[in-house]
Amino acid sequence: MKRMIIFPVIVLYMAAFSWSVWQYQHPKPISSDQSKLLPTRIKQVRSAQSPDELTDWIRQAKRNHETISIAGLQHSQGGHTYLADTTVLDMTNYDMILDYAPKQRRITVQSGVTWAEIQQRIQPDGLAIQVMQSQNIFTVGGALSVNVHGRDIRYGSLLDTVESFRLLNADGHIVNVSRTEHPDLFRLVPGGYGLFGVILDVTFKLTEDEWYTEQTIALDYREYPTYFQQRVLDDADVRMHIGRISVAPDGFFKEMYVTNYRKTDRTIPIEDEPLKQETIIALPKALLGLSRYSEFGKNQLWSFQKSYFLKQSGTFQSRNNVMRSDSAFMDYTSPSRTELLQEYFVPVESFVPYIDQLRSILTTEELNVLNITIRYVERDESAVLSYAKQDMFALVWLINTETDAASIRLTKRIVQKLINATLDHHGSYYLPYYPFATRAQFQQAYPKAASFQAAKQQYDPEAIFMNQFYIDYFK
Amino acid sequence: MHYPLFIRIQSMILMSSSVIFPFYLLLVRQIGDSYAQFGLAYGLFTLTSAFAYLGIGRLSDRFGDRFLLMVHTFGMALILLYVPIVTEISHVYLIQIIMGVLGALQKNTEKTVLARQDMAPTTIGRTVGHYHFKTSLWSAFGIIAAGYLIDFLTIGSLFYLISACYFYVTLRLWFSRPRPLKK
Repeated sequence: MKRMIIFPVIVLYMAAFSWSVWQYQHPKPISSDQSKLLPTRIKQVRSAQSPDELTDWIRQAKRNHETISIAGLQHSQGGHTYLADTTVLDMTNYDMILDYAPKQRRITVQSGVTWAEIQQRIQPDGLAIQVMQSQNIFTVGGALSVNVHGRDIRYGSLLDTVESFRLLNADGHIVNVSRTEHPDLFRLVPGGYGLFGVILDVTFKLTEDEWYTEQTIALDYREYPTYFQQRVLDDADVRMHIGRISVAPDGFFKEMYVTNYRKTDRTIPIEDEPLKQETIIALPKALLGLSRYSEFGKNQLWSFQKSYFLKQSGTFQSRNNVMRSDSAFMDYTSPSRTELLQEYFVPVESFVPYIDQLRSILTTEELNVLNITIRYVERDESAVLSYAKQDMFALVWLINTETDAASIRLTKRIVQKLINATLDHHGSYYLPYYPFATRAQFQQAYPKAASFQAAKQQYDPEAIFMNQFYIDYFK
Repeated sequence: MHYPLFIRIQSMILMSSSVIFPFYLLLVRQIGDSYAQFGLAYGLFTLTSAFAYLGIGRLSDRFGDRFLLMVHTFGMALILLYVPIVTEISHVYLIQIIMGVLGALQKNTEKTVLARQDMAPTTIGRTVGHYHFKTSLWSAFGIIAAGYLIDFLTIGSLFYLISACYFYVTLRLWFSRPRPLKK
C-alpha cells in the first residue's frame, strides 16, 4: 500500500524535475533597447546574413503564424525592435557596402551598416553624408525606419537623400522602392519602424565634404527665433546648426548658446583631415555624472560646456567630423536608473511662448533633465508618419530617471504634460522613444496615423511584422 | 520519531539549506532591482512563518512530526525546482511565502521532536547542545563544500542537486518505521 502511494509521488517529482531542467536549459532570450526599460521575453534572435536566409525566415513565420521584429542597434527606446514571443532579426551583421560610386556621389549599403563605417569609406574621396543623426553609431536601416533628421539645416529628413531601397515584404518577396516604384511604400517604410518589411539595402546620395568654421554665440532665448531666421537660415553659408538651452538652475530655460557651422573656402585638402576619434571622455563623463545628482553639478556642466564651445569658435572642422559627435561619455549603466531621450518639435514662431510654458511646468514638477539640444527641421511631409508638419525647432531632451514603477509613473505624468504643451503649440513629438504619450496625444501629433494603419493592414494583413510600438498605439 | 534517524534527517536538511542559502540570496538580489524589494522578499518569508507557526503547532500534535517533516522536505524539493527558472520578482515573493511556511514546518518540528524525547531534566541541556553540535557540523561542511562545488557546477545545477537531496530525505522519512508519538 505504502509503495503504491509513493510511486505517483516519485513520478510527479521526476516530471517536475525534468520540466524544470528543460526550462532552465531553454531560457527565452530577453530583448531590450538602450534604455533597458522594457525588457521583454522574445522567442529568439536570428542574426541575418543573407537575403535568402531572411526570405526563408519570413516565409517560415508566415506559415507558422508567427511575428517578426527587426532590430539594428536598438537605440529606439519604445519597443520598436521587439515584442513578447517574437523572432527578432538582428541586422547588425548584415553590413556590407554593396556599391559605391564616388563620382556619382552615390552609395548602396546593406541596412546593418553604421554611419561610422560609411564615413570611413567615403572620407578619403572627399565625400560626406547628407543627412544622419548627430552621432554616427546608428545603423542605416534603423535610421531610415525612424526617418531621422540631424544638424544639417539645408536638407530635410533622411528620406530626402534616399534614392531607393529594397524591401523584403510580408509575402517574402523583394521589391524595389523609390519615388517612382511603389511610391506609397516610399512614404510608409521610412518612419515606419519596421512594420512593412525588412529594409535590405539603401541607395542614397552623398555630398562633398566641406570645411566649416565653428561659430558659437551666447544669447537669450527670446532673441533666438529672430537670430535663427536672419543669421542662420538667411545666411546661405551656414550649413549646420545646433543650439543648447540651460536646464541648470543658472539661466534655467533662458540662457542659450548656439553653434553654426559656416562653409569656408579653406584650401587645405579636406581628404587629409583625419576622422576624429573620441578621446577625452573622463572629464565630460565626470561632469555629466555630477549633473545627474546635483544642481551644483548641472551648473558646472552648463558653464563648462558653454565656455568650451565659445572657445572653440573660429576653429575649422570638416563636415565629416561635425557629423561624428561624441557619445561614449554618455554611456550610462546603473541598476536602478536609466537615461531616456525625448524629442519635441515646435513651430519656429512658437518657440518663445513654448519655452516659457516648459519653464513653468518644470519649476513645479521634478524632472531630472540633463541637457536639451535644439536642432532645426524644415517642413517635410514626405513620410506618412511625419513629425515636421511645418518648419520646426526640435528639442532633444536627455532625462535621468529611476526605473522602478512609481518613478516611471511620475516621469510619465510629467512627460505627458510636456507633450500636451508641445501639442498646444501645434508641435509634435518624436516616436522612437519610450511610449509615455497617450494614444490621444499620438493621434493628435500624427494625424495620418489612421492611414498608416490602413496601409499596414493592406501590406501585411497577417501582421507578420510586429513590435511593441504598434501594439501600444494602433491595436 | 526515531531519534538517531531524526538527527540524520535534520543534518541533511540543514546541510542542504546551508548549501543553497548564499546562492539563493544572490538570486533574489539579482531579480529584484532595489534593496526595498529584497527587504520585502525577506520580510514576506518571516511574516508567513510567523502566522504559519500558529497552525503548524496544532497540526504537529495531530499528524505527527514525521509527516510534517515530510511535507517540508517534499515541498522544498519541489520549490527548489522552480528557483533556477524564476525570472519575475512577483514569483520570488510567492516562493518566499511558500518557503516561509515550509521553514516554519521544519523549525517547529525540530523543537517538538526534541521536546517529545524522554529526557531527564538534568540532561536536557546536554542533549539539545549535542543535537545542535551534530547538525551545525553538517551545515558547516555543506557551506564549505558549496564554495568548492560552485566552481564546477552552475548555480542552477546546485539547486537541482539540493532538490534531489531533499527528495531523498523525503523517501528516507517515508520508508522509516513510524513510532508512536507519545509513550
